[in-house]
Amino acid sequence: MARSWRSFFRRNADEEQENGPTVASEPEPSTEDLEVGNGHLSDDLTEGVPKAEEVQAERKEPAPADAWEVEETEPGDAEETLPESSAVEEARDADTVAELQESGGWFGRLRQGLSRSRASFVGQLNAAVAEFRDVEDEEFWERVEEILISSDVGVPTTAKLVGELEQEALERNITSGAELRELMIEHATSMLEGPVELDVSHEPTVILMVGVNGTGKTTTIGKLSRFLPGTKMFAAGDTFRAAAIEQLQQWGERTGTPVVARERGADAAAVAHEAVHSARREGTDVLLIDTAGRLHTKVNLMAELDKVQRVVQRQLPGAPHEVLMTVDATTGQNGLRQAQMFKEVAGLTGIILTKLDGTAKGGIALAIANEVGVPIKLISVGEKVEDLHPFDAREFSEALFGDL
Amino acid sequence: MFDTLGERLNKALDGVRGSGNLTEDQVKKVTREIRLALLEADVNYGVVKEFVSNVRERATGAEVSKALSPGQQVVKIVDEELANLMGGTAHKLSFASRPPTVVMLAGLNGHGKTTAAGKLALFARKLGKNPYLVACDTYRPAAIEQLQQIGRELSVPVYTEGTGPKPEEIAERGIREARDGGYDFVIVDTAGRQVVDMEMMEEIRRVRSTSRPHSVLLVLDVVTGQNAVEVAEAFQEYADFDGMVLTKLDGDARGGVALSVVSVTGRPIKFASEGEKMGEFDYFYPDRMAGRILGMGDVLTLIEKAEQQMDRTEAEAQGKKLMSGKFTFEDFLQQMQMIKKMGPLSGLLGMIPGLGKQLKDVEIDDRQLGRVEAMITSMTVKERRNPKLLQNPSRARRIARGSGATQQDVQKLVKQFKEMQKMMTQMGKGGGMPRIPGLSGRR
Repeated sequence: MARSWRSFFRRNADEEQENGPTVASEPEPSTEDLEVGNGHLSDDLTEGVPKAEEVQAERKEPAPADAWEVEETEPGDAEETLPESSAVEEARDADTVAELQESGGWFGRLRQGLSRSRASFVGQLNAAVAEFRDVEDEEFWERVEEILISSDVGVPTTAKLVGELEQEALERNITSGAELRELMIEHATSMLEGPVELDVSHEPTVILMVGVNGTGKTTTIGKLSRFLPGTKMFAAGDTFRAAAIEQLQQWGERTGTPVVARERGADAAAVAHEAVHSARREGTDVLLIDTAGRLHTKVNLMAELDKVQRVVQRQLPGAPHEVLMTVDATTGQNGLRQAQMFKEVAGLTGIILTKLDGTAKGGIALAIANEVGVPIKLISVGEKVEDLHPFDAREFSEALFGDL
Repeated sequence: MFDTLGERLNKALDGVRGSGNLTEDQVKKVTREIRLALLEADVNYGVVKEFVSNVRERATGAEVSKALSPGQQVVKIVDEELANLMGGTAHKLSFASRPPTVVMLAGLNGHGKTTAAGKLALFARKLGKNPYLVACDTYRPAAIEQLQQIGRELSVPVYTEGTGPKPEEIAERGIREARDGGYDFVIVDTAGRQVVDMEMMEEIRRVRSTSRPHSVLLVLDVVTGQNAVEVAEAFQEYADFDGMVLTKLDGDARGGVALSVVSVTGRPIKFASEGEKMGEFDYFYPDRMAGRILGMGDVLTLIEKAEQQMDRTEAEAQGKKLMSGKFTFEDFLQQMQMIKKMGPLSGLLGMIPGLGKQLKDVEIDDRQLGRVEAMITSMTVKERRNPKLLQNPSRARRIARGSGATQQDVQKLVKQFKEMQKMMTQMGKGGGMPRIPGLSGRR
């Protein structure tokens, strides 16, 4: 079963009491809710928080419906979802994002999306499993190694996984291919399992998006905002790349999210500072801060990221509450170094594996979970908004090792 | 994280020294290590298999030269084989006999097509061409704005029709516009696409057929892993590219993808794209990439970078001064500034073979250089020329205050500087390179 968005967000206790833990369709936050929220804010934080009335006056956007109820706003809005393929047409007609997910099931989509490459991959594995005779069959284990390495799992993690499997297969005296495959899936799953929920219990919750160039930070912010509960705000912290600000602004327009931006070349930390300030003033629930893509080897750029983080933290102790790193599923072993460096500098709370709709199997996720110890929280299996999903270790492993 | 291949081979061949021929057993030991190194560099599994068996064949029975250790001998063979496979020499840009020359870029999402388009435009201009950009990415939000901003930066015109029309039509009209405007080098930027998206792949085929390019370049991120082969094959089928641009080479990915795609598609990598600055773009030199994939450093690039940035006569004068012991803080500052011009220190040091191991756990912090610079600039001219003056604590205190460092930092710098002076004088007298603790290699 797909991991649902409903259990994905860890929210504060008050809200859960009010609305119940499994919120199917949460009502719009009422004025009282807002005032209470801001009352808390001005108690907790001393500087620069205006009175509730002011907030009311300044609020331009009505609070949108809750995330899993988000409708594709206007039917005629051609720019609603990223029209990156004609399949988008179908999506635009769908009633709700959530409904589409429930009905199709992302696992099905993932499988479907990968069907081409998977055919050969699963075929190989099936053939290997069919040929499985006994655990001392060297050739068999070599084949398994080959399959894992060909999925970008990498040599050390492959060696570990195969070593464990071999030992357990021997101990449990496993003789059938099916049993063995189940064992593989179990081991991969336990390697991948980690805290998957996104902590959005703060007021405001600050999510910082980081990663190397071209891995999909801005796109993911746009998509994720559609699922997040409450009011959202974007901060255009990529002040470096040409038109990065415009890209986020277009997402802001599409999703009806206000965007805090300065001119290109501005100090990213200053943008973040201003955004946190605005989010607090406006009583925004979740602030998503975009950052420039940076190679983990660039000391100066990593220092800049550290500065953004410090600025946010000074302003709002405990923030950023989530630091998410996007990793392109096509990435090879360098993904490990990326994750390691970003973990050291930015204290990652999770990985988002993007572009799983290609031929890549995303085995690097297994390597990152095993060797760097950062949990995978989200995956993106396509270009449409509803292609973003909470990560499910078991299903990912099943997809990696083929049908059961 | 990864041992360099050199270290591994030395380990594998520990005790095997000297002359004679490489035995089958030795070669086997060595090729196992090579296999691992290539897999860690993301070379495709199938390609590795084939490659290793080639090397095994060539190395078995090869004569070990006196100058090299057996391990080095094998590395040399591997290095040559790699360079051979990747095409040996650089491929230069060729132009259409009847202008304009049309170059189309294609690739996966986020691999750097739009940036590469700008860089290629600048590169062409440096070769005396008059470039023109055509924006055909009608999908990604703000992709057109990105190209327009790049075009403004470089003063290269950008043809766009917004996101409405079909990319193949935009390309056709854009190229016509360029021809009419007298531009002789047209670059067609296309949207990123996934190869399983048949509709998008059909689209790139259509863009290719309407734009009739003289060259189609596949833009590929150097971090790409095992599936690069499938990606390249699909783009070969639909876009029929004749060469590749390898991007984001300023990172620390080993770039096995270069070997994978070249050996599978038979198409050469033509350009190397490094950083985010528009000028960081050049022809691709396969022989240099071989060393990178193997983790052996890239001496050639280092030498060239140094040559570009340093004034030769100045460098010679500096060298003489260095050896004579008359080296002062002023000279030191000047040298530091030269080194800084060559790029981030970590990148430079990574290019030096054999340093990989020492640097693995050392964090290279370019800010350290900045701190030293600050201390030196806080010295008076007199102090810079005569470091002995700095033994006076009140001077050291003043410099510390002026540069935001501690007094200990200043004292440490002075001490290190004196040691360096001593060392250099010794070298100048022909005493040879003294052993630097921690850096002396095992022989």
